[in-house]
Amino acid sequence: MPFANPQSSRAKRLLALSGVAAAAALVLAGCSTSSPGGATASKSGVRTVDVTLTGGGSDSCTVSTTSVPAGPVTFTVKNESSTGISEVELLQDQTILGEKENLAPGLAAASFTVTLGGGKYQVYCPGAAKELVDFTVTGKAAAASNSSAATLLRQGATQYATYVDDQVSTMVETTKALQSAVDKGDLAGAKTAYAKARPYYERIESDVDGFIKPGFSATDNAGNLDYLIDMRASNLDPKVGWHGYHAVERDLFQGGAITASTKKLAAELTSNVEELQKRVKTLSYKPEDLANGAASLLEEVQTEKVTGEEEAYSHIDLVDLAANVEGAEEAFAYMRPGLVKLDPSITKQIAKQFALTDALLDTYRSDSALGGYISYDAATKTADANTISQQVQALQDPLSQLAAKVATA
Amino acid sequence: VTGVSRRALLGGGFAAAGAGVGALAGVGGSLAAQAAAAPPPDESIDLSQSHPFYAAAARQPQPGIQTPPQRYCVFMTFDMASTLTTDLQVLLARWSAAIAQLQAGKTVGTVEPSHGAGVGQDTGEALDLGPASLTVTVGLGPGIFDERFGLAKHRPAHLAAIPALPSDNLEASLTGGDLSLQACADDPQVAYHAIRDLARMARGTATVKWTVLGFGRASAGKNQSTPRNLMGFKDGTRNITEASDFEKFVWLKKDAGWMAGGTYQVVRKIQINIEIWDADVVSDQQRVFGRDKVEGAPLSGGTEFTTPDFHAAAHGSPKIDPTSHIALAAHENNGGVKILRRPYNYTDGLNQFGQLDAGLFFAAYMNDPEHFTRIQTRLGASDRLNEYISHIGSGVFAVPPAPRSGSYVAESLFA
Repeated sequence: MPFANPQSSRAKRLLALSGVAAAAALVLAGCSTSSPGGATASKSGVRTVDVTLTGGGSDSCTVSTTSVPAGPVTFTVKNESSTGISEVELLQDQTILGEKENLAPGLAAASFTVTLGGGKYQVYCPGAAKELVDFTVTGKAAAASNSSAATLLRQGATQYATYVDDQVSTMVETTKALQSAVDKGDLAGAKTAYAKARPYYERIESDVDGFIKPGFSATDNAGNLDYLIDMRASNLDPKVGWHGYHAVERDLFQGGAITASTKKLAAELTSNVEELQKRVKTLSYKPEDLANGAASLLEEVQTEKVTGEEEAYSHIDLVDLAANVEGAEEAFAYMRPGLVKLDPSITKQIAKQFALTDALLDTYRSDSALGGYISYDAATKTADANTISQQVQALQDPLSQLAAKVATA
Repeated sequence: VTGVSRRALLGGGFAAAGAGVGALAGVGGSLAAQAAAAPPPDESIDLSQSHPFYAAAARQPQPGIQTPPQRYCVFMTFDMASTLTTDLQVLLARWSAAIAQLQAGKTVGTVEPSHGAGVGQDTGEALDLGPASLTVTVGLGPGIFDERFGLAKHRPAHLAAIPALPSDNLEASLTGGDLSLQACADDPQVAYHAIRDLARMARGTATVKWTVLGFGRASAGKNQSTPRNLMGFKDGTRNITEASDFEKFVWLKKDAGWMAGGTYQVVRKIQINIEIWDADVVSDQQRVFGRDKVEGAPLSGGTEFTTPDFHAAAHGSPKIDPTSHIALAAHENNGGVKILRRPYNYTDGLNQFGQLDAGLFFAAYMNDPEHFTRIQTRLGASDRLNEYISHIGSGVFAVPPAPRSGSYVAESLFA
């Protein structure tokens, strides 16, 4: 197949990126204006650049000229035959200055106009064999911009650490409350406390897995905190046995009784959650950790929650599911100030899909139900699993593109 | 080679038997002559074969209708999640360009993005498999022309939900859809890859509704020998193969406006009660169909392609039962109406009772879905076959003509 060698393309891209970092940052005069039609604006003084997309298995993005004088420039994008490229952006310093999306062969050409100062730019065609085409504007540079997307993303990632710490500290409190109800032998109280404790782990799950207790090897589940806290019946390691939230869940909801063993499990759970809190305080996050974390929380939704596997006895899967979505939405919110500079259109798209997902989940809320959401029993699953899964997938698809974007910002 | 000699052997056997019975000598003789003159067509599979997607002229049909049926087929329907007309337009444009590439054996984009942290544009499982005669046929359901997209004024004249028919046992989860994709190929993975990557393109715009994976063709095109359905009978002996019949019964004419050169697709998921059928004696099975099982000849006599004589009688009763499948489906008994059948055998594994869950994915093309309704009304009411089958899924779609290069399916809707 006629694919470009990915290694060489990546090397080219990195080179190109470092070139841009050295270039002066510019500001747009008058922002970008878009015209939907196919006509190329040719008013006096406006330069035109044609961007042509072609496909055939290896997609390419061709620019009619790679250098124009400073001033207003109209980019007219025509997708001749590319199935892999559906958007084109004009970048400088990883910031999008203008873009066109939803490009498909057969549709009319689309154009956007930007006013450019002298400097180095790039035409970015995600999905092309060569994604970045260098573009030079000759003449006077514009004034420097303020904070870059990269700086804003780093700030967001730092603030996100506070969010994770808050979640873990509430997790410790609510887990202690669960233990206390269990110790009192209060079955109804323990069930309520269980449902209250669950969302905190689910919101940050993707950030806190992988911790090993001191003195244990990485392959030994007896020292794996995620295993000890959140293991489900379907993935038990018989050598280590069952521990954590779901072992307590089984006693409370399936067994319907609090035994000496339940009390032992609850006490051990508290101590493991406290151990987790100590570890989490040492964590720091890069912007791509937030992007990957958010995507993997949605993966959790698809693999564990939609199936009803997570809360097999209490059926509060929708509580966990909403917490996964909420955690992903928080991570997105911390990235958003940087993201919107990096790629306003995907930011808008993801925000819209989060809103649709939230609205869908709102329909399952019930004040009288355990944890605030209706029970995810067999009937609910049959009726609604498909709808939930497809909505989450519509969110996950754009979200999964974020890691690549923020990693190179 | 074994196929050839076995046929020759069968032909010879019939000829000998025919010679022994004076009245049938002519029939036997013509069979022997036919077997000698027309050797079985070459149906070996060439996976490097491809079909173009784009039309070379105006009002040409999409591939996957008159195309000789490939061995495998995956069918999927979608409901629009977006109510924006532009989202529908972009989806049809992206699908069209992607299908053109897929049919040429290419990917829909890079499998390994140049940036390692990127997501591939193509999922990659069809790399190096060749075009395998893939065709993808796009259909538009009645819902596309409801109030959501402002396209009501373009609704194809005969596009409407199939009415409730006798013996219908339809499940809501296997019925309807705003869009349909039929991907057929001689390699099942090529067909599946096409559906998978096209479904991926639709995410956020449309949600998947129902799908059927057909593992064996159950219809013949011109110069193909008649295959068998899972009941063991030849299916489609009297199917449309001649260009004149396509003109008369399948393609829409100029008066259909933007749909000229297009057609209508009717699909039914027909479950077969395999175990019960297998326990039925062959003489009854033959009575149910109105044909014999091995040769496929009508019970009125002759060979597979002999025209059935629905008036032939023996000992005072008709040789072909009037409630047999072929009697009720025959164009002679349906006001001369024919439809193009393009079905595939399917299996969904085992059902909840531990029985084989399998049947026929019936896909048919016609210039008016009423023709299907007319035939199925009669079949549903009195077909002897109904004891062994159940229509559990259904859909009707308008199939626009193929786009020219540089255009896309149904472009004129958005002009």
